[in-house]
Amino acid sequence: MTQEEYKKGILDRLSDKLVDVIASFISLFKKDWKKKNRSKMEEWKLMLYALNRSPPGLIGLILIGMFIFLGIFGPSIAPWSYRYFPVFENMSTYLAPPGTEAYLPFSEKTITYPLGADHYGRDLVSLILYGARTSFVISIIVILLGVPLGIILGLIAGYYGGKIDELIMRITDMFLAFPALILAIAFSAVLPERLQGFINNHEFFESLFLKIFALQPQEAGNLGKLLAVILAMVIVWWPAYARITRGSTLTEREKLYVEAAKAIGLSSRTIMFKHILPNIIGPILVYITLDFGGVILMEAGLSFLSLGATPPIADWGRIVYDGSQYFPEKWWLVTFSGFMILLVALGWNLLGDTLRDILDPKMRRSIEFKVKKQKQMEQMEKEGEENV
Amino acid sequence: MMEPLLKVENLKKYFPVRGLLRTIGYVKAVDDVSFTINRGETFGLVGESGCGKTTTGRTILRLVEPTSGKIIFNGKDVTKIRGEEMKEFRRRAQIMFQDPYSSLNPRQTVFEVIMEPVRFHGIPVDDPEEFVIKLLESVGLNEMHLYRYPHEFSGGQRQRIALARLLALKPEFIVLDEPTSALDVSVQANILNMLKDLQKKYGFTYLFISHDLGVVKYMSHRMGVMYLGKLVEVGPAEKIFENPLHPYTQMLLSAIPVPDPDLARELKAKRMNVEGEPPSPINPPQGCHFHPRCPFAKAGLCDKKEPPLIEVEKDHYVACWLYAKS
Repeated sequence: MTQEEYKKGILDRLSDKLVDVIASFISLFKKDWKKKNRSKMEEWKLMLYALNRSPPGLIGLILIGMFIFLGIFGPSIAPWSYRYFPVFENMSTYLAPPGTEAYLPFSEKTITYPLGADHYGRDLVSLILYGARTSFVISIIVILLGVPLGIILGLIAGYYGGKIDELIMRITDMFLAFPALILAIAFSAVLPERLQGFINNHEFFESLFLKIFALQPQEAGNLGKLLAVILAMVIVWWPAYARITRGSTLTEREKLYVEAAKAIGLSSRTIMFKHILPNIIGPILVYITLDFGGVILMEAGLSFLSLGATPPIADWGRIVYDGSQYFPEKWWLVTFSGFMILLVALGWNLLGDTLRDILDPKMRRSIEFKVKKQKQMEQMEKEGEENV
Repeated sequence: MMEPLLKVENLKKYFPVRGLLRTIGYVKAVDDVSFTINRGETFGLVGESGCGKTTTGRTILRLVEPTSGKIIFNGKDVTKIRGEEMKEFRRRAQIMFQDPYSSLNPRQTVFEVIMEPVRFHGIPVDDPEEFVIKLLESVGLNEMHLYRYPHEFSGGQRQRIALARLLALKPEFIVLDEPTSALDVSVQANILNMLKDLQKKYGFTYLFISHDLGVVKYMSHRMGVMYLGKLVEVGPAEKIFENPLHPYTQMLLSAIPVPDPDLARELKAKRMNVEGEPPSPINPPQGCHFHPRCPFAKAGLCDKKEPPLIEVEKDHYVACWLYAKS
């Protein structure tokens, strides 16, 4: 190993700064937080160093950063609304190829199509930006509802064991027995009407969902199908988490620190959530990251099967479906929106794989070793300079 | 007159062995064990691995629910208490584990490890940080270690942290479940001396579980020898080491390695070799559990009837037909 390997790169310094800034920020609210969590900060820095040494991880991080940015701000920076149909004003915008310009006589504007247009003459760039929000929100809701449900059930099953375990795991098995996509299709076909009824009766939820999906009020009638897909995916998503959580809980509950916690008298709930959960969350976190990509893929798949987002709601999977009817002559719809799905799924997967490496203590130790060596080297250099 | 703190009466713990559909048998881990521990003394519990000594310790603390029997702690039967009383018992009776590498939550700093029980039991503390530092100092650690994680410590240091966690609760009774067997000899001595000092200082009562006879001799006032879930000999440690009555105890004691080779050769002639393996606790032999390995076993008696505990000399009990007054 050469000396070069121990040098801190610019990214490492940035990570140091980042951790320090976050720590200082928390210290503003919690007294002495920095002092008390020195070891934790050290761990964080090591994790970031490990990330910095993995190019795929960085690529994944950048892709995901971009996706999250588009998910939040996409609809606001989209040049055209998804509910604006130029084809009614100018027939030449119908499936206009990339690079076309067209004049819209009624609104007296010129529209340019950097990536082409769909069959309503809508700008594909705008559609992709709106679609980013749809995918982003759906994946977050599915993970936020499905994962905690799975984790809680898995913890309970693993911790108590016996009959409770049997009951929970047999139900889980029932869900796992069906292929996920088929089950999701079944649920998203059955659920929409009830959800639509619910949405119609609750104005608060109606405006909430319209807001987070960046939809216009005319879409209220289509929310039911969208929510049905979300609920269907939650239903198929939790069993996997219940499984892995139960497995890790089974090994973890035999550890002596759990027994020590029992000897102190702590309640089962405290032991499960404060002692066991933090120790098994690592692998689950990796799973979550990979599954963000999985959810987006499945959602695109369901939309492709015309479940979920109904036109004119912008959705990547839906755009691919609509475009597939004109493929390959009008190649841009399928290609560009398909490419977006690919990039995001790839980003989450790269990040997840890297996270697995980072959270692996063996991998981290080797970096820790390098960092220590590096500190020694710096020390030696300093001494060398002083001697000169 | 010594006052008993803990009285264990006919304690039993059977673990069911499950077959395909039904229970096909029981592992009799603890089988009808009775003993008393006086306030301020150390009661040693020795035996081969798998003889049920650890299970006895855990059952007494109700970390494992006993199958039957009474555990009377401070005049109250702890097998029947619940709620607030149970919480109070948890504070008063604590356990120190064998393996320091898994007895601390890897995600908690030393400060959190020690403060968690204190907060849970609502023990009033003015300055938590100072309180923890004082505890750490009393077990030979210092302020520097306050916010570190367990992986940053050695085995001996972790065992000290575990000890500090116990001390924080000011318990009366501590089960020491082979607290030193995972440590190397110099650290062992260190921890053992610390335990002895703490006992003198705070008047702790210990149940000291170990398979290391030397350590038990050093630590205990009274001791019990367990074989296959049963107590075969109980008495003051000195008397048992001077005059072991039960053939099993004699075997165990003669198996202690002697550092002097000449003496060892001399003793070898007199030595009783430990022969055979302990039988399976699922299906223990009839009568005295030890009879298949016992050189003095009498056919027709030892393999038929179980011997009761017989008081041979004052406070020195043995479960063996050899000492029965016929």
